[in-house]
Amino acid sequence: MSNEKWEIGGKTLDSRLLIGSALYPSPANMEDAIKVSQSQIVTVALRRQAAGDNGGQDFWNIIKSLGIHVLPNTAGSHSAQEAITTAQMAREVFGTNWIKLEVIGDQYNLQPDPFETVKAAEVLIKDGFEVFPYTTDDLVVTKRLADVGCKIIMPWGSPIGSGKGLMNPDNLKAIRTQFPDLNLVVDAGIGKPSDAAKAMELGYDGVLLNSAIALAQDPVKMADAFRLAIEGGRLGYQAGTMIQREFASPSTPTVGTPFWHQFKD
Amino acid sequence: MIKVSVNGEIKELKENISVKDMLNFLDYRSKTFAVAINTTFVSIKKYEDTIIKDGDEIDILAPVQGG
Repeated sequence: MSNEKWEIGGKTLDSRLLIGSALYPSPANMEDAIKVSQSQIVTVALRRQAAGDNGGQDFWNIIKSLGIHVLPNTAGSHSAQEAITTAQMAREVFGTNWIKLEVIGDQYNLQPDPFETVKAAEVLIKDGFEVFPYTTDDLVVTKRLADVGCKIIMPWGSPIGSGKGLMNPDNLKAIRTQFPDLNLVVDAGIGKPSDAAKAMELGYDGVLLNSAIALAQDPVKMADAFRLAIEGGRLGYQAGTMIQREFASPSTPTVGTPFWHQFKD
Repeated sequence: MIKVSVNGEIKELKENISVKDMLNFLDYRSKTFAVAINTTFVSIKKYEDTIIKDGDEIDILAPVQGG
């Protein structure tokens, strides 16, 4: 891991990978993948629990044993009120004021509802939450979320679980350029390590993903691949990429080229 | 008796029952869950003073995997 630290939600971290805890082949596999990823933030959720069912407690015990930061989500919410209530419940259960705000506006592509998301974000920030809003790659929505006090914005790469990577890198780049002081994390749609590297090369502060690791043939190895890709992308961004050129330009010196001759028409 | 929905299932409870007593009656013993009534959060501090009403929709949520 590189020695560079960064801050998000009042915490200083080494890893820029935020990892999900769902869809792994087994709890043990989830635990191993999270450890290998070296991620310091894991997302969790809340669902209805039947009396006598200890599954939730068992899962929570594994997560607690990892000793990393927990980011509860409001997944499944379709209105600001549902998301606010879920966030309040999550704060009590998980003992954190961090919340990944997710308000779905369309079932077909699980696209966030920007209007309800902004409404919920404003209420939750006033209630003392550190809001991590999941949103589209829309510059104006980002502005509205920043206006109500969000310091972290998480635009999607592409729809949740699609693995399509970054659909609109130009939009993501515009958000980064216009909001240099916000914590920006690409959340959702990442499919391959190169997608994560690309997000980091755009100057994003981090990447949040779940399916790409959990649904890989070997989730533990893929967790390692994403760790390396995110580090590589970050270093590439810091190093400053070369300016693209329209034409080829030789990298080997041309002075002293043997057998040199000018092309003739 | 009153009829309420608990996590989507209809349950019969005695009248004027508190959230605390409802949780004991329904055998919720795990410490790790949170309660909402009619989409409004009810904190642990309010379990004793909050009385369940006929027709209430109660959600009891616990930690699960999430993305």
